[in-house]
Amino acid sequence: MNFPENLRYTKTHEWIVAQGVKVKVGVTEYAQKEISDVVFVELPKKGLVVQQGKTAAVVESVKAAFDIYAPASGKVTDANTTLEGNPGLVNQSPYGDGWMFELELSNPAELNTLMTAQQYGEFIHQSAKH
Amino acid sequence: MTMTLDTEPRKLSLHEEHLRKGARMGDFGGWLVPLFYTSIMEEHAAVRTKAGLFDISHMGEILVEGPGALDFLEKNLPRRIAPVKQDQAIYMPLVNDQGGMVDDIIVYRRGDDRFMIIVNAGNIEKDFNWFKARAPKHVTVTDLSESMGLLALQGPLAMQILCEGFGAYYRDLKRFHCRSFEEGMIGRTGYTGEDGYEIMVPKTKLKAVWDVIFRVGEKHGLLPIGFGARDTLRLEAAMPLYGHELNDEITPLEADLGWAIDLTKESFPGSDVLKKQKQTGITKKRIGFEMVDRGIPRNGFEVQKNGQGIGTVASGSFIPTTGKNIGMAFVTASEASPGNAIDIMIRGKAVKAVVVSLPFYRRKG
Repeated sequence: MNFPENLRYTKTHEWIVAQGVKVKVGVTEYAQKEISDVVFVELPKKGLVVQQGKTAAVVESVKAAFDIYAPASGKVTDANTTLEGNPGLVNQSPYGDGWMFELELSNPAELNTLMTAQQYGEFIHQSAKH
Repeated sequence: MTMTLDTEPRKLSLHEEHLRKGARMGDFGGWLVPLFYTSIMEEHAAVRTKAGLFDISHMGEILVEGPGALDFLEKNLPRRIAPVKQDQAIYMPLVNDQGGMVDDIIVYRRGDDRFMIIVNAGNIEKDFNWFKARAPKHVTVTDLSESMGLLALQGPLAMQILCEGFGAYYRDLKRFHCRSFEEGMIGRTGYTGEDGYEIMVPKTKLKAVWDVIFRVGEKHGLLPIGFGARDTLRLEAAMPLYGHELNDEITPLEADLGWAIDLTKESFPGSDVLKKQKQTGITKKRIGFEMVDRGIPRNGFEVQKNGQGIGTVASGSFIPTTGKNIGMAFVTASEASPGNAIDIMIRGKAVKAVVVSLPFYRRKG
């Protein structure tokens, strides 16, 4: 599975761009496979202030709804509204066209609490054993 | 040997075969079943346009036989059984004394006093006890669920595939009729809204039948179908699911199953309550609805009208073939007319929907 080096990862399978102040957020390749066909996305509105670890968006498959948590705290500066008409992009391109929203970080140091690509890869590997 | 804990879901006899076909397994009423093999979207479409094969061996089979079996069922079931001919089948709810539904079942008449009853997996014990407690001395009630397996072959190409696999003998089998097959039977029934068959054979023969169907079916585009698509297919066809649209407290009249009971019968368990309810009118009713604004309705969500609660969603989903978000709900009877604008409460927000007539999908021809 592909976990790009330039991203940081959460245990709840979101990714966030590791550098910059305004950074994109999405779900990992592992997450999109677990969710299966994404058929609905509910995005946060621009200007919404989100807190690290709190629900910021919702992704739904045919069968179930999944909360998407903010990997870091900040203000939502953009949302990928293309997903509202084409939610399948989350499956097809989880790190590209399937990005979900953009955050202006209020505390960039929070990124240090997240996993690197290598750490996330190991985390997935460990959880798969259970 | 391995120890199995009581709380662990039970495995189907074809468990290994499902894994070989790439199934993602999940829990369904205490059973570990395939949720999907490739994707719910693809599998739903395959059943609507070609064919699909389901392993539904979790379901129960109860045999009622012996002198007086016909009389026994006639007294206890909500439809007339005597007119059901040998090798014919009939669908109905099993009704409790309060008029609620114990289960919904299909009764296959296999002889003058011999009936095979297919019941929901979660209700096997409850149904068995219900029949057993009421059965007179010479009528035997046997739970065959442990030894019998069940497959469903569904879709517009189901007949062609079945006949290529097992002979043209099953070509002219009429809807809701069955014929003997391999110590079991094949019935022209299903739970998808498409043409198709349900094949009951001993579990020892299940794999062989499964293999034959794939061998002849694959060139026709047959896919294995998981429980995800089983649910979207039955929902689109507006078929009720026990535990969602049916339970011990909901009556057949409320669930829009008035057609599946016969209130001209003198009496059956719950008939007094139902006859009275028919006269006075129901206060809540099963409806279909379609989302107008964005959002997917799910089981348990509240239904509102002008900010007032009027009911609860029983089942809801995105539907692969139409791309619509639809559901079935129980609402106050006065709000049940098609065209009525309602709201579904999704994560605290009122999302617009409209009552529509059922079913959502009806096959052509």
